[in-house]
Amino acid sequence: MWVASRELATRWCVANSRQALSLVLDKISTLVWCLIQPMTFKNMAKKLLGDPINRVDGALKATGRARYSADIKRPGMLHGVLVMSTIANGKITAIDTADALKVPGVVNVMSHQNAPKLAGMDKNKPSEIATDRVLHVFQDDLVHYNNQPIAMVLAETLEQATEGASLVRVTYQTQPVKLPLPAGKADMSTPKQMPRVDDQVDTKRGDLAAGLAAAINRMEETYTTPTMNHNALEPHALLAYWEGDKLTMYNATQGISGCQKRVAEIFGMPKENVRVITQFLGGGFGSKGTTFSHVMLAPMAAKLTGKPVRLVLKREQMFGMVGNRSATVQRLNLATGKDGKLLATAHHSITQTSDFDEFAEPAGTITRMLYACPNLDTTHKFIRANIGTPAPMRAPGEAPGVFALESAIDEMAAQLRMDPLAFRLANYAETDPNKDKPFSSKSLRECYRQGAERFGWSKRPAQPRSLKNGNYLRGMGMATTVYPMNRGESTALVRLKPDGTVQVETATQDLGTGTFTIMTQIAAEVFGLSPDQVTLSAGDSIYPTSSVSGGSRNTASTGSAVTQAAQEVLKKARQMALKDPKSPLFNVAEAEIVVQKGGQLQQKSNPKVGEALTSLLKRNGNKPLEATVQSKQGDEKGKYSMNAFGAVFAEVEVDELLGEVRVTRLLGSFAAGRIVNLKTARSQVLGGMVWAVSMALHEKTVFDPRNNRVMNANLAEYHVPVNADIQEIDGFFIEEADDIVNPAGVKGIGEIGVVGTVSAIANAIYHATGRRFRDLPITVDKVLA
Amino acid sequence: MIAADFNYEAPTSLDEAFTLLRKYGDEAKILSGGHSLIPMMKLRFASPECIIDINNIPGLSDITREGDIMKIGALVREAQVEHAAELLEHFPIFADVTKLIADPQVRNMGTVGGNLAHGDAANDHPAVMMALRASVVIAGADGTRVVPIDEFFFGFYSTAIQPDEILTEIQIPMPSPYTGSAYHKLERKVGDYATAGVAVQLTIDANGICTYAGIGLTNVNPLPMRAARSEEALVGKKITDETIAEAARYASDDCNPSADLRGDVEYKRAMVGVLTKRMIHKAAQRAVA
Repeated sequence: MWVASRELATRWCVANSRQALSLVLDKISTLVWCLIQPMTFKNMAKKLLGDPINRVDGALKATGRARYSADIKRPGMLHGVLVMSTIANGKITAIDTADALKVPGVVNVMSHQNAPKLAGMDKNKPSEIATDRVLHVFQDDLVHYNNQPIAMVLAETLEQATEGASLVRVTYQTQPVKLPLPAGKADMSTPKQMPRVDDQVDTKRGDLAAGLAAAINRMEETYTTPTMNHNALEPHALLAYWEGDKLTMYNATQGISGCQKRVAEIFGMPKENVRVITQFLGGGFGSKGTTFSHVMLAPMAAKLTGKPVRLVLKREQMFGMVGNRSATVQRLNLATGKDGKLLATAHHSITQTSDFDEFAEPAGTITRMLYACPNLDTTHKFIRANIGTPAPMRAPGEAPGVFALESAIDEMAAQLRMDPLAFRLANYAETDPNKDKPFSSKSLRECYRQGAERFGWSKRPAQPRSLKNGNYLRGMGMATTVYPMNRGESTALVRLKPDGTVQVETATQDLGTGTFTIMTQIAAEVFGLSPDQVTLSAGDSIYPTSSVSGGSRNTASTGSAVTQAAQEVLKKARQMALKDPKSPLFNVAEAEIVVQKGGQLQQKSNPKVGEALTSLLKRNGNKPLEATVQSKQGDEKGKYSMNAFGAVFAEVEVDELLGEVRVTRLLGSFAAGRIVNLKTARSQVLGGMVWAVSMALHEKTVFDPRNNRVMNANLAEYHVPVNADIQEIDGFFIEEADDIVNPAGVKGIGEIGVVGTVSAIANAIYHATGRRFRDLPITVDKVLA
Repeated sequence: MIAADFNYEAPTSLDEAFTLLRKYGDEAKILSGGHSLIPMMKLRFASPECIIDINNIPGLSDITREGDIMKIGALVREAQVEHAAELLEHFPIFADVTKLIADPQVRNMGTVGGNLAHGDAANDHPAVMMALRASVVIAGADGTRVVPIDEFFFGFYSTAIQPDEILTEIQIPMPSPYTGSAYHKLERKVGDYATAGVAVQLTIDANGICTYAGIGLTNVNPLPMRAARSEEALVGKKITDETIAEAARYASDDCNPSADLRGDVEYKRAMVGVLTKRMIHKAAQRAVA
């Protein structure tokens, strides 16, 4: 059960019929729902593969009642429509708003000429968080990229604002345009830092030259990936309004607490004065992870007009201001000695950033740790171009980087005439060769074994071009997939009520992945309850601060906070019992008291002795027990390397005359620590694998070389797969117990589905055709060339 | 995007529709499935003053055979075609083409009539109807006329239908025995418009001689195109690798594609060649099967 506000939580937490649900929903604007299916618990120990329960918000979403940020209304609300730059570099010399202001209903046109000043935005001073962006919007007359917001028309209706925006005339003084990759490689520089600040920019291990010299086989190739744009189904949207000096935002963000902090910082106000609410999110994939320009613009406009302002980006406006995945040019060298052991590896990456801000796609970081190799160099450089600043996009760095690495590994296996899986096993890293630390857990061998068996890898003939199906050449490929365990700070409050139900409060948002569902599962499991006995209050910065839903970290972060707070409450209950002379557990050692199904405390060595949590609380003043825990990484990070691993297998069919590539089968096996909910987890890894099909075969942002304007800023020309592009697809999890990673025991699954799958597909195309494609996406023209 | 304001009329008879058409003239657009019209309106490429929804007019939703003619009503949905047993038995090409049109949701609404009346060479049915030598029934207040498909398309989004007329039916001549048909289009990804598409219908007599050939091309010419020289290269001859190669070469030479994000002219011509070969093979196999 999940409720979005405190008073509703109290009022409605026992409502449990569909009828009550509809009444509630019809009458109120906030969200309330109940879990319909009760769960049975067989085992009170932490389950490694958790129950595949339905989403707590499933019915709301399926019936269209889930309210997203763009659905929120406020009396007197104005609609903002952005005017975007049509040049990529230069200065605005004039903005003529006369015609726009004549449109009935248009109230104001905001631009740098009249916009409120952002007190806390110094664009020359980097933020303390590496991925925070320069948000110097409407503060000066400079244009840094094409499709940059430069004015915002505010009107009573969306139509009026749209009409007004079409009538704003802007004149510019233009400057020469700095092109993105693959052009403009002359002016390279070294990034100051990587998005994960403890990742080094460049690394060296052993002696690369010596390794290369000692090798028997060598390969060197360049792999390229294009600029890509996030295209979540839900466009970026927010409603902002001020009440005195207090700002409220209904904002589609992947990080409620981060957004609250950043907005407060830039507006130069205390954090407590900013409230951020995200009831539902329709995906983000990194483009809603940090705080972007539009998030500044709505509150600025609300301040300027004194009215609530709603701003929803149009699809074409999502190609620039809300990030992109940098193009990459990656050079890989591999060298092996006898037995196919890697002796030398070099991975040199060139990426791109904007001319006013830094984001360095960390393409080479995985290469440092994926295989055992004594001599290794990795470097990162970037160029500056007149484009919107890149941002993390689902597996930033890992996705393009592992495409290059795992393609190169496949090429080396082919050169050695070794089975690609056998070659990977021959170079298995037993400890993290980059950090020189043990893994907290690593079940990659098991992923390889079970994945290969289910996929039928043994049926793959060694020789490419051996399999045919009518006009199609068929091929099988595989790759290793990996994603580091990331964990941020999260705080959760857990309250055990005398009626035996539990309330959890934490600010966290649900990206659409099932966070709200699994937080109730995590709390329920600690108390031996079923998830429908747990109420979650979340999606709002009035609740305790929580982590961003990015870098596959939210379950590790917020899930750990919920676990620890629930365990803390349980500890209080145990102590209450052992000190209570009326309790059957009086004077029993604390460690001897365990919780059993149905919220029963019980003596471990004598299960007949025990009592229900409800009776214990009733006898002790009938008051709730609660605990708030701030959860963050401890010293385990210094001692261990913590990562999720997996193996992905792909089968493709290629029509050589038409150049068509179809992915006919995809199978992923993943070891990612504890899986809280098998159903939502499987959906997430499948979604990641579909993302990889998109990256391998479809996605590419095309810039006009005259002015860096994106030429395919729409979903008709920016291609992503649809259902019919996806054939047989499956993913499964290996049981992996890891008590080191974090209290929740989870490693995260948001990104691992993407990482290796891209190259698994490319490797399958090689096996089908005998030809290696090193430039993404692998489209018809390249197959025919 | 949101469409501009428009009036909406939903007549329940053809006569009522004709009256409305006379009233609004060329400011009216007919709505059948809406899967071409509505997106254009949302993008404001089209802002008709009035939408005349013909979905409530009875008698336009049937697939019926009358003697030597197969009739497809203007409101027959693509999804209906997918399951029309008798139609598919004689014209297997419809099983090929409907599967390649968008996705099931679109096919539940989109109509064959609308696909033709939209007058877009990128649509799939125009080439199919060329291969089958279909005719289009156009009705107006002054009566109906039957227009052969070769005289139906005039220009981009422009057809023989006058502003006061409605397409009511498509008529396809029943094929002789030993006839086969096939269609394929090359797409960059599922649901895209064709990079190139080829529709073929062939009849092969007892001596293995081709007695009928119809070949239509999708999206490689400003208008839906008949590959006339390719047809001539087949009729009266045995279907051999040589005659097929010749027909494919003519189709490739005679089409007139334009370069766009789907590829350059040379590439599209090459694809027309490959597809023409394959569709002739497939149609021929089906003819003798």
